[in-house]
Amino acid sequence: MPTVKRPGSARLLATAILILGLLIGYLGLSANGYLVPAVVAVLMAALLWLGKAGRLFMVVTLVNLFSGTLLVLVLAFGDVLGTHKLDVSGVSLLINLVTGGPAVALVAPALLLGLRRGKPLHSWFNPAPRAA
Amino acid sequence: MKRTATVFTAIAMLVQPVVGQAASFTGRVTLPDGRPAYGAMVTVFDADGERRQTVYTAADGSYAIRTPYAGKLNVRGRLSGFKDDTVEQQASAGGSARVNVSLGTFASLGEMNETLSASAFNARLPWPNLKRDRPAFVSQCNYCHQMGNGWTRIPRDHEQWIGEVEKMENMLAMQSQAQGRVIAETLWKGFDGKPFQASQSYGANPELARAKVREWLVGDGYTFIHDADVADDGLLYGTDEGHDILWVLDRETGKIEQYKLPDIDLPRGGIFSGMKLPIGQFTGKHGPHSMAQTSDGRIWITNALSSTLMNFDPRTKAFKTYQVGHDALYPHTIRVDKNDIVWFTIVASNQIGRFDPKTEQMTVMRLPSNGVLRWVTDQLFPTLMRIGSWFPDQAVHLNLSTHRFFGEQILAFPYGIDVNPVDGSIWYAKLYASKIGRIDSKTMEVKEWDTPMLGPRRPRFDANGIFWIPAFDSGGLMRFDPKTEKFETYRIPAVGKYEYETPYALNVDRKTGQVWMAANNSDRIIRFDPASKAFFTYPSPTRVTVLRDFSFTEDGQVCSSSSNMPAAAIEDGRPSFICIEPEGGAADRTALGS
Repeated sequence: MPTVKRPGSARLLATAILILGLLIGYLGLSANGYLVPAVVAVLMAALLWLGKAGRLFMVVTLVNLFSGTLLVLVLAFGDVLGTHKLDVSGVSLLINLVTGGPAVALVAPALLLGLRRGKPLHSWFNPAPRAA
Repeated sequence: MKRTATVFTAIAMLVQPVVGQAASFTGRVTLPDGRPAYGAMVTVFDADGERRQTVYTAADGSYAIRTPYAGKLNVRGRLSGFKDDTVEQQASAGGSARVNVSLGTFASLGEMNETLSASAFNARLPWPNLKRDRPAFVSQCNYCHQMGNGWTRIPRDHEQWIGEVEKMENMLAMQSQAQGRVIAETLWKGFDGKPFQASQSYGANPELARAKVREWLVGDGYTFIHDADVADDGLLYGTDEGHDILWVLDRETGKIEQYKLPDIDLPRGGIFSGMKLPIGQFTGKHGPHSMAQTSDGRIWITNALSSTLMNFDPRTKAFKTYQVGHDALYPHTIRVDKNDIVWFTIVASNQIGRFDPKTEQMTVMRLPSNGVLRWVTDQLFPTLMRIGSWFPDQAVHLNLSTHRFFGEQILAFPYGIDVNPVDGSIWYAKLYASKIGRIDSKTMEVKEWDTPMLGPRRPRFDANGIFWIPAFDSGGLMRFDPKTEKFETYRIPAVGKYEYETPYALNVDRKTGQVWMAANNSDRIIRFDPASKAFFTYPSPTRVTVLRDFSFTEDGQVCSSSSNMPAAAIEDGRPSFICIEPEGGAADRTALGS
């Protein structure tokens, strides 16, 4: 068990991811491709709430943010890629969705800021060992 | 009076050898009770059944028609509410015969129902909430074909209708999942195959008896001639969107030629290969859609499926292809301005294309998104389509499309386009966003207006710069004056109780000012006279008539292509080129002294 109390940022961000994930899941009832990011978002919210698998959480968040940013940049300025533009944006979109889609992307900057060493979220995922 | 008639008859008989080279018929069409049939269609089929010509009867039931046909010909009388009567007549070139036609009564209600247009059937659909539920059906299910004709009203069980609705989604119908469920349930309950009482009136009038219709069958049951256009060589060109063919009709000789578009390095279905396009219907890669001609004679074609622009030189028969690029999805309607600049809408990515044939420079501009939801779609829809193409014929990308939640409202859909003859500005209509817009052709500045009726589809300008807009979803006609920025609206009269109309396209004859419109729900063509604000109906001789664009010949004929999807559902089982000659019937009467 973590040795620190669950920080407010973990509560807040996990709740935000959960709500966004559920909203996307609701969309997924009609367009079921969105069930994938919805499920991933709920899992991410759970990890954040529990403070488990910090490295995995960090990697997924980073990949999500990177793919989302790449998607936006390619759509906005990607004409130089010619016919490959949509291939790049397509791969970016799929990667973004399997890492939680917009539910994670929208809170990813806050998550990554919080996961820096010395911040409460970092401590939450990396609890100091309990003294013997 | 009698003397005058005798003189006219004598003149007609003298003239006949001159107008000859044709089998001519005169006669009378009567109702079952012997009264004259007013507004009935008399159609003469050529011996091969490949061509036909039709005139309409006057108030006294009389008709007169000259045709270029000879041999064993069928003469058919047809009027809504009565059974056809067909008379076989041996005719020689230059011969003339009197053929009277007696319309019959139906043996049963079911037999009568078979003669009704689709509008009679879809008017009966039991929508849970008409105002809430029917708009999606009109917008998405009446989109490319009739719903309620003999092909589409076959009774199916609930599961089968759900399958049909899904099949249409795989071809780019944009109903939401919830709308799809309601549509499937309503069609299941409504198209039950049970006979019903109905009456339709196409409104006989003296104008009708002055008109003549010519039809030429083309291709086969899967030929899909989206648009037809009269070029300056007088030939009628038709773009076969399903098979990458340009059809060319010589109206004088009846000869039909076809030119295959050059191949392109794309799979079947082009960049829409991820969709589940029906295999027989869509074998091509380009999807030639709309046409316009520049002053050098070249015909410019928007290729919807390959997102390319192409030109065809009628002299050399050569094609040349240009990539539109810029994520363009589904180049659509095309027009040419007075400087020979080619303009076209790009519907699924909310863009306008501009191409200068002299410099071969392609410019694509994004139109206003009209809301956050549509902005997201504008950004992501081309990407979704690319993802779909990685999984051909599976339509997997639809699982990521937000239309399943929000319906067609996720797209703005710039559809029809035209050039204002007064100031050269470019105007377009957004089908789903229900807006029209103006582009300053020099500054490219855009201004948009909300339309008072829904579903503005393929609009056109008249010679005075008045913008005429068919409102597909509202069954109306809109007039917009760019100077005053004011709309006027007109509801299109239906042919039966509770029925509605789906005006797909219109064009304005700039010589006469008359507005010609498609009325695809009820097998007719409509003319609107702006001076009297009156609608005139021309019933189509052929059941299941779906027209998508109109073009005028030098001598005032109004031409189009009959392109219900699939063509196999049309009465002949094949599509056709069709031309209406507003004064053709009157000319025949005069020539034949009738």
